[in-house]
Amino acid sequence: MQSRALRPVLATYTALFLLFLYGPMIVLAILSFQGPEGGPQFPIQEWSVYWYKHLLGFAGTSRVSQLPVGDSLLRSIALAFMTTVVSTVLGVMSAEAFRTRFKGSGPAFYLIILGMMVPGVLVGLGMALLSNTLGLSRAWWSTSFVLHVVYTYPFAFLVMLAIFNRFDRSVEEASLSLGVSPAQTFRRVTFPIIFPGVLSAMLFSFTLSYDEFARTLFTAGRALTLPLAIYGTFSVEIHPNIFAFGVLTTLFSFTLLVVYGLLMKRFTARAARFHGQEES
Amino acid sequence: MFACEKSINGETDVLTLSRVTRRYGANTALDGVDLVVPDNTYMALLGASGAGKTTLLRLIAGFEEPDQGEIAIHGERIDGQPPHLRDIGFVFQNFALFPHLTVAQNVEFGLRHRARAPITDDAEIRARAEAALELVGLAGFGHRGVGAISGGQRQRVALARTLVCEPRIVLLDEPLGALDANLRARMCDELRAIRERLKVSFLHVTGSETEALTMGDEVAVLAGGRIVQSDAPEMLFTAPRNAAAARHLNAWNIFPAGLCAGGAAQGEIAVRFDQIDVSPPGAVPDGRPHLAAQYLTGEFNGPTALSFFRAEDGTLLQVVDHLSTPRLPELTEGARYDLHFAPDAARQFHGAA
Repeated sequence: MQSRALRPVLATYTALFLLFLYGPMIVLAILSFQGPEGGPQFPIQEWSVYWYKHLLGFAGTSRVSQLPVGDSLLRSIALAFMTTVVSTVLGVMSAEAFRTRFKGSGPAFYLIILGMMVPGVLVGLGMALLSNTLGLSRAWWSTSFVLHVVYTYPFAFLVMLAIFNRFDRSVEEASLSLGVSPAQTFRRVTFPIIFPGVLSAMLFSFTLSYDEFARTLFTAGRALTLPLAIYGTFSVEIHPNIFAFGVLTTLFSFTLLVVYGLLMKRFTARAARFHGQEES
Repeated sequence: MFACEKSINGETDVLTLSRVTRRYGANTALDGVDLVVPDNTYMALLGASGAGKTTLLRLIAGFEEPDQGEIAIHGERIDGQPPHLRDIGFVFQNFALFPHLTVAQNVEFGLRHRARAPITDDAEIRARAEAALELVGLAGFGHRGVGAISGGQRQRVALARTLVCEPRIVLLDEPLGALDANLRARMCDELRAIRERLKVSFLHVTGSETEALTMGDEVAVLAGGRIVQSDAPEMLFTAPRNAAAARHLNAWNIFPAGLCAGGAAQGEIAVRFDQIDVSPPGAVPDGRPHLAAQYLTGEFNGPTALSFFRAEDGTLLQVVDHLSTPRLPELTEGARYDLHFAPDAARQFHGAA
């Protein structure tokens, strides 16, 4: 009875909420199809894919200079990739360590978590000052990279901690009792079982690093990452080519999510069989 | 104290534990355990939950290390060795199958990936895994996922996975605990049969005295962190050596000897449930020790009936009557009766176990 009245209300509320959430993105997507003479606002003067062409350098001469994203995009992807690898490996290893209580595990836990709690601008600034003091030059692949790892590693760590929390240790012991060495046991038993978690940790690390701004701002040095490069163009003048670029990167993110989803589906199909074992 | 017992027929001992102690903080889980598992034997280890049975198995398998004492296989000390080099099979209560592998891959796992002498010939691995599956009655199940088979079948896979590696001894941690009653009875027979074919020693941990007595060629009782008795099941059942062992068999009344009229004995007395007779007060035949008790209630279990009495000092006493040969009089709840038994039916224990 109650749910009959409640359901449409909740459905409407959810729909409005989603609209609110994705509204800005939808507006950007619409504006990216602005005509060559139009600006970054409504009304749409003429529907076209001009700004996409402009972005990719096929638009010929234009009053608007091309968006300087090529190199920065590559840099950001490389940085995100490096960060993903290092953070995930560290996250898996430290979560594995935290399965047994060791001396100082409490403080160590909070020190790791601190990396995602401290304000990015502050650590960015701090890192810049530190590298100045030490006489090190700042670069996206050194100072920024370290901060990206400090930032994303706690996320990977927490994901893996949750995974290990539900992990049944007896399968590892079973492997050992069959004469399989600890290293092989990790490779053949532990890792395949925790792999969905590793995938999630990687996704977290990648997306967090890919659009990280505050920590990178002071530490990237001369060569900019993608968020910095885009921000740089804002300070001059905004043209719809930025929206076209936004749409393309969103598509890229969606592709990542789809890949993640497909891999996840493959592995949760196996996990489902595992749950069957627990129940009966 | 039982470690020095010679095993029968000059057989050698596989596993020897001497004075094995394990503490967790202030708790002593195992307090100087001595245990000998002879070659080619089905050994049952009986203990209440929390008695340290699983801890004992984990020490033997090497998942934990004892604080004191020695563990040896064929006389060679193994404590301190990493678990994967001990060559000891372990069957877990929850089976612990590898969820991401098929039944066949589970069974092949040890042969393929073990650190010592792994087998590289694919055909041989497959043949041996198939033979092991056949041994446990699962021929043709190899391609299934371990989630797609029943509880009893998982138990068999766990067993096949362990046996295929031909360990020196197989430890079974309450292997029947996760199965329903029917399946348990069937697996009991099969476990014994499989063991007899392979001639490897099994050490089977259980909290059920029926299971221990049925399965074991020898039954050891673990209580208070020690092995209180290790004997053949008939010996253990008919002649427990101390109150702790008797208590675990769930077939013995244990009460202070002072309760009995006509016997000035000291210490504790144990009389089996089925060897106590009941008479109205004052009607005890001559020469039989007896004690007064109040009838509380009866419990009908099918082929047997249990009657509960409370002695004067509050001790709960049980009397078993078999339906086919009833020997108890009509009993009224709350009334007083004399319980008596043949003098040689009582076992007397001195001091604490």
